[in-house]
Amino acid sequence: MAAIGLSLIFGCMQIVFIAHGAVMILAAYCIYWMVTLTSMNPFLGFLLIIPVFSGLGWILYTGLFQRLAKAGKNPSLLLAFGLMILLEHLMSFVWSPNVRTVTTSYSSSALSLGSINVSVTRLIVAIVALITTGLIFLFLKKTMLGKAVRGVSEDRGTAALLGISPSWVSAVTFSIGIALAGVAGAATSITYPFDPYFGFLFSLKALIAVAFGGLGSVEGALLGGIILSLLESISSYTISAGWADAVGYAAFLIILILRPEGLLGRRSVEKG
Amino acid sequence: MVNQLLEVKHVDVFYGDAQAVWDVSFHVNREKVTALLGANGAGKSTLLNTISSVIQPRQGEILFSGNSLANLKPEKVVAMGISHVPEGRRLFSRLTVLENLELGAYLPNTRPLMHESMERAFKLFPVLKDRKGQSAGSLSGGEQQMLAIARALMAKPILLMLDEPSLGLAPLIVNLLFDIIRVLNKDGVSILLVEQNVHKTLEIADYGYVLKTGTLKMEGRAKDLLNDPDFQQAFLGMVI
Repeated sequence: MAAIGLSLIFGCMQIVFIAHGAVMILAAYCIYWMVTLTSMNPFLGFLLIIPVFSGLGWILYTGLFQRLAKAGKNPSLLLAFGLMILLEHLMSFVWSPNVRTVTTSYSSSALSLGSINVSVTRLIVAIVALITTGLIFLFLKKTMLGKAVRGVSEDRGTAALLGISPSWVSAVTFSIGIALAGVAGAATSITYPFDPYFGFLFSLKALIAVAFGGLGSVEGALLGGIILSLLESISSYTISAGWADAVGYAAFLIILILRPEGLLGRRSVEKG
Repeated sequence: MVNQLLEVKHVDVFYGDAQAVWDVSFHVNREKVTALLGANGAGKSTLLNTISSVIQPRQGEILFSGNSLANLKPEKVVAMGISHVPEGRRLFSRLTVLENLELGAYLPNTRPLMHESMERAFKLFPVLKDRKGQSAGSLSGGEQQMLAIARALMAKPILLMLDEPSLGLAPLIVNLLFDIIRVLNKDGVSILLVEQNVHKTLEIADYGYVLKTGTLKMEGRAKDLLNDPDFQQAFLGMVI
């Protein structure tokens, strides 16, 4: 899910949004606050996260990134990096750098499906991820705005010649990307313990999943995410947990060597 | 003067510090085919990009139906009724043929007419109907050019600007495209055609302008240009 958000942002705006993980963790802390202060159900929090974080995305894009759009990629990367550091330190200031967990009444309950035990929270998270992904796909494939997002990510200039405002579409895309990071972070909060600096790992993993599947391709990001997590689970089960990351990165390297554009990456089609 | 749909007046265009167009003035009459001719680097594409506001002129002004296009964003120029088919087609190659056409009708006022415009596009270019589910990148060069024109028509333009539509295409396809341009013009679409294929262009054009290294060298009715010794001299050797 994080990977899809990142892929959308990268595809549409050519911004490598390294602060993605930090935004996720911010959402995790928001859920943490909601649960500990108001003892509300964390899944209700999900519904709050979406509008709040899309609003945050809108402000971030129109306020900061849009101004840098003309200056090229490097200033945006720096800005994202700065944003990440700022968020991390803000979070450790507000919530302290201690590891937090969000617990629910059913955190410890599990469902048995034959010989497999699945924890209820993980199951719900998986369902949320599936629904979100499905909705994003529908949006991109079936709505005019979704098609415009795909058009703008392929060629901003041509989109403008058709009457599509690239900056408006970019702002929408960025908001969706940040909202996805928010949902992903909320999901993280109830499945993993987290601290303010935990997000970078997610940025890294999401970036790899995106590159794995093909930069700017939403289908690719999803596929990359699934393959990467499958590889890691299988290798931690068959070899050892310590090797999971190594296997993931090795697979990533192999893909980069064999297919630098990623599994479903765009190849430029030039025909005379 | 009422006849003038587009007026370009004393325009200077720069890329950074390099001047590409010097004091060029021309106009496009309503429901006519106007041609901009000239060799590579003459400033033809630059002028089209200036009209569609991809580049802003440093000097001069451009009027469309009497309204200035100064400081408009490209997406607003389309809304006024100017569609630009850029050089090299610039399709969304990962989107399907159908999706490319749909995005052509993205503007709020053309969107309700999408179905009707689509039927018209398929009537003009039946091959696109057969290929509508395919990705645009998988089309042949000629089909891509047809799709680029069809996509621009989805916005219901008053003025259609075509930048080198015949570039890299087989002669048979070029003939087909020029026939279609003529049909479009008969249907009432005014056309500004940028081409290096001088003879074919002047066959369908009403009026032509000749550019050389960013300045206007010559202008005249298409028939007169073809018989003008200076014109023949200028294009001798570069016309096939």
